[in-house]
Amino acid sequence: MYKLVNDSLGNNNSVLRLSDNAFIPFDPDNTDYQEYLEWLAEGNTPEPADE
Amino acid sequence: MTQAAVLAQLGNTPLGMRNLIINGAMQIAQRGTQSTGITTTGFSTVDHFRTSLSSLGTWTEDQSTDAPSGFSNSFKLTCTTADASPAAGDVAYIRYMFEGFELQNLAYGTSSAKPMTLSFWVKSNKTGSASVQLLQNDNSSKNISPSYTISSADTWEYKTISIPADTAGNIDNDNGPAVSLIWWLNSGSTYSSGSTQTSWSTYSAADSNAANLGIGGSTSDYFAITGVQLEVGSVATEFERRPYGTELALCQRYYWNPNLGGGNYFWMHPISYGAGFRRFTVIFPVRMRATPTCTVGGVATNGGSFATNSPRTEAGGSTTIICVGDLASGAGGEFSYITEFKASAEL
Repeated sequence: MYKLVNDSLGNNNSVLRLSDNAFIPFDPDNTDYQEYLEWLAEGNTPEPADE
Repeated sequence: MTQAAVLAQLGNTPLGMRNLIINGAMQIAQRGTQSTGITTTGFSTVDHFRTSLSSLGTWTEDQSTDAPSGFSNSFKLTCTTADASPAAGDVAYIRYMFEGFELQNLAYGTSSAKPMTLSFWVKSNKTGSASVQLLQNDNSSKNISPSYTISSADTWEYKTISIPADTAGNIDNDNGPAVSLIWWLNSGSTYSSGSTQTSWSTYSAADSNAANLGIGGSTSDYFAITGVQLEVGSVATEFERRPYGTELALCQRYYWNPNLGGGNYFWMHPISYGAGFRRFTVIFPVRMRATPTCTVGGVATNGGSFATNSPRTEAGGSTTIICVGDLASGAGGEFSYITEFKASAEL
């Protein structure tokens, strides 16, 4: 499970992996980000970012 | 090795940094020296060596101090809950992944492609044939899956395996996963029902672990390796010693744990455009392979508390990343700090 995270300017450029509270950057070379994209491709949806 | 063989090898191989394996002596374990109750794939102790599991037992992973003469550590997996009859797709293996940048000297995919030699020490309570496998991630998992034999139980044995050149499999010159090196412990029939492959072949899952040692069929089964060396050439040379600091820096390209705590903190500084904002820049000791996944924890502040998902990392790259903390209360507090930080850019 994942949750979107907004930065200080309100932009979404990372996601929180809820199993270990790790912040995953949107870097295509990051293998955790690749796993997140696969998870999305399976039809899953992350929790929204906090307002 | 004969003197002639040594001289021949020297003609083909650099004298320094000839071991393509990082942390082959299992000295670096930034995540800790033991992890118990492992049932899924992940890095737990020794850097760069990953335990890979799918529904096959429960394991303890150690950076063990049991090692052959001349070595101080080994990577050891011990089964604590056995699986005597793995389902077809179940697997247990140790995986080492090479980055494409690290293998360009092999000249794969050209007429100048070079052979390699894999050498390592292994110890197990079980004897018999076992499989190692190399998979070319850049070439549809083209693979080779030779076998070796463990002759004596509970005894360190030295193994060497020849890896032929591949003139038809180009390895991308990039920071992505290029070649997987796998020591099979056990698997179901999906990965064990084929044949051992001693030359580069089109991937067939069934050939992966054709010589199945079956570690994990009984509780207390164990498998340990160290002194892992993969080098260009057809002769296994003595294990290449590198300074501890060099080996650590090589590992930190993929994972960094600064071991915060005990008075060693990352301090977060207030910034001017809001008393409730805290920031600091983490500078990685070496350029990481990619922008890392980060965990930030152990937060403390005097008289305040942090907002949800804070501190967090943002606006980073492979050399630095910014840690951000938004105070939910106590915005006037003088200081705050974190006692845990880890960055992972593993393959």
